[in-house]
Amino acid sequence: MNLFRSEEHIARWLGSREPGATIPVTTLADLAVAWWDDRLSSSWVPHARAQNTAILDELGLTGEFWVLA
Amino acid sequence: MEAADLELRRQTYAFFVDHGRAPVAKEVGDVDAVRAGWRRLHAEHAVVLNPATDELRMLNPFAVVPTAYRVRAGDRWWYANCAWDAFGICAALHEDGRIETSCPDCGESLAVEVRNGQPDDESLSFDCLVPAAHWWDDIVFT
Repeated sequence: MNLFRSEEHIARWLGSREPGATIPVTTLADLAVAWWDDRLSSSWVPHARAQNTAILDELGLTGEFWVLA
Repeated sequence: MEAADLELRRQTYAFFVDHGRAPVAKEVGDVDAVRAGWRRLHAEHAVVLNPATDELRMLNPFAVVPTAYRVRAGDRWWYANCAWDAFGICAALHEDGRIETSCPDCGESLAVEVRNGQPDDESLSFDCLVPAAHWWDDIVFT
């Protein structure tokens, strides 16, 4: 899960490897806030799968690649 | 997850944030009980242990060991496990900050200021190689 200068750099870095998912850094930032915001809360409990799926859906991260275990 | 394990997790994270390093088992309770609790938390993906030593490896989004992602949140520096976690450290601490790393392709330094959860450089891209269903197959690789 890496940060790159641009999508062109990702394509060059991947070479012939199977691509994963590429998203803008702004979407990543929104994902991080939604996913990690409560991590140090004294009342933290594990996110349910449905809760995390809703976070992904809200950001348009849908499709087979983003289906959680 | 049992209340005692949630409390152990809370104490472990609190120690990490207070001291800037992960605790060893004796610093948060009875050694055998803590190690057993950490193993249960590891199984629930609430902490990540080094399988060879049973010591803490990740307290997501924080990395316990040095990585390619350095994060300043407020006035302190941390390591993140990946780019997602780098933003996650600012989110978890509710702090503005700065992420420093390098592009895996060209090696150019990348520095991102984070203000109110958003990066100051919107030209960057994030790539995730591993499909979500397999993130926890090998979380260190992911």
